Amino acid sequence: MIHFDQVSKRYEGGHEALSSISLHIEKGEMVFLTGHSGAGKSTLLKLITRIEKASSGQLRVNGQILNRLRRSQIPHFRRNLGIVHQDHQLLMDQTVYDNVALPLIIAGEHPKDVTRRVRAALDKVGLLEREEYRPIQLSGGEQQRVGIARAVVKKPAILLADEPTGNLDPGLSRDIMELFSEFNRVGTTVLIASHDLGLIARLNYRVASLQDGKLMSTPFEGRRT
Amino acid sequence: MSTRTPNRPTTKKPVQNSANRRRDSAPGNRSAWLRHHRDCASQSLMRLLRSPVSSALTWLVIAISLTLPTLFYLALSSLQAQTEQWQEGGQITLYLEQGLPDSDGDRLTRELDARPEVARAYYISADEAWTSFQETLSINRQALGFTDNPLPASIVVVPSQQNSSQLEALQLIIRGLPEVEDVQLDLAWIDRLNRFLELIYSIVTGLAVLLGVAVLLVVGNTIRLAIESRKDEIRVIKLLGATEAFVRRPFVYLGIWYGLLGGVAAWILVTAVAWWLRSPLTAFLSTYGLEANVAWLGFTDTLVLILASIGVSLAGAHIALQRHLKDAEPR
Ligand SMILES: Nc1ncnc2c1ncn2[C@@H]1O[C@H](COP(=O)(O)OP(=O)(O)O)[C@@H](O)[C@H]1O
Ligand SMILES: [Mg+2]
Repeated sequence: MIHFDQVSKRYEGGHEALSSISLHIEKGEMVFLTGHSGAGKSTLLKLITRIEKASSGQLRVNGQILNRLRRSQIPHFRRNLGIVHQDHQLLMDQTVYDNVALPLIIAGEHPKDVTRRVRAALDKVGLLEREEYRPIQLSGGEQQRVGIARAVVKKPAILLADEPTGNLDPGLSRDIMELFSEFNRVGTTVLIASHDLGLIARLNYRVASLQDGKLMSTPFEGRRT
Repeated sequence: MSTRTPNRPTTKKPVQNSANRRRDSAPGNRSAWLRHHRDCASQSLMRLLRSPVSSALTWLVIAISLTLPTLFYLALSSLQAQTEQWQEGGQITLYLEQGLPDSDGDRLTRELDARPEVARAYYISADEAWTSFQETLSINRQALGFTDNPLPASIVVVPSQQNSSQLEALQLIIRGLPEVEDVQLDLAWIDRLNRFLELIYSIVTGLAVLLGVAVLLVVGNTIRLAIESRKDEIRVIKLLGATEAFVRRPFVYLGIWYGLLGGVAAWILVTAVAWWLRSPLTAFLSTYGLEANVAWLGFTDTLVLILASIGVSLAGAHIALQRHLKDAEPR
């Protein structure tokens, strides 16, 4: 599903954020990406979402070779991804409902389907009663769950999250991770960047570890039974 | 972005797991595209109306910029209508040979009247001329010491065309007539007036172009600010798979609305000013014995004004989008 072959990323200014990464994540897998701050976790995710372009090597995501993707193809490619940010990136002047509906509106879904699917997604993250609220009226954990509902509302093939629990206390972090596990169980490929090693260790998933832009180890998949 | 969902049913009944029933239902189709256009149009208008003061600044500048050249244009068309009235003064008087019978004079008048370049021709017999001359001076021929009528018969020709080359051609034909003794022309000033109007017309066109550029810049700047204030939102929706056209659409509609509001406001201003000037202008012209003929913006003129306003605003919006949307790539 996600295939890095000797991928390097050098930012303008000469700093090499990722060096010769080879990483393969299969369909339906759930993988954690760890590493110290500045190790290159966010950069790796930005290559997958095509926010940044690899300097060398080949990156294949969902059957598409990203280096060859034309500018006009990027929007349609991104519609197959669900993206969760540390700071959730919700639109603060719109309701929870409208925020979650965004990916469906962008894809041109029929309003009838939009309503149904938004409610289904909000139901899954346990925020159905909050659909008319503004993000500002919600707690940090609830905001992050809205962000997750928005990421999964289109049932993307791949779910990416960059420090999704970075701003949350341990109890809430566990709940969020449990949510990701649930989506993985119904077949979504999940990749989560996190430096919270304690949390990751408890979850028993495959871990890819970055250090100064290099991949340290990709131990064998240890899926929970 | 125009991403709010209109016409959403307000029922709060949870819909359990129904999302699993059907996967993607033909996205990107034509009705979705139309729906987004409709939503963008209404939401851009609402956005504009929600900050009435700042948006009024923009469309008022548009309105005033368009009002000036439109008023000049209106004044010009009024003047042109006026010169048609004045054309009566642009007549040619043909003095016929002494002693030419009235029947010949009448025939010649009818011949001239039938020519396409002649609007009207009428015959003034020697007797008529003499009578009117005496009436004007309030004396009789004996007092003047004349026993016979010294005046010739004449034909007054009113040309139908103002075009100077056509007038000259007509003049040549008239001078060539054997019965004509002398020709008196009163046309040169019309020619001069027309040249003057052409000059004014060029000046007005130049002014219109300049003020059009001003509208372009004003709308461009307004759209730039709108993009600026929604940069974060643009970044988010681009990351969620919004196409370039989807991102641009609400701003394009914003440009259309500004153009429409500015154009309509310009029409109101122009009409108000024309109404305001109507009576002083009538009074002024009547002192010259002229009938005021203040033009109004007709249906076509109004349509052109509003479409031009929308067109220029759209161009301004496109320039702003071209230059500033690049700065709102996801990070
Ligand atoms: N846009 C950028 N331009 C230049 N250097 C960058 C940019 N983004 C990240 N970097 C650098 O790349 C390295 C990896 O950063 P990042 O991927 O954000 O690490 P992490 O998410 O693991 O903390 C860091 O040294 C960072 O300074
Ligand atoms: Mg990071």
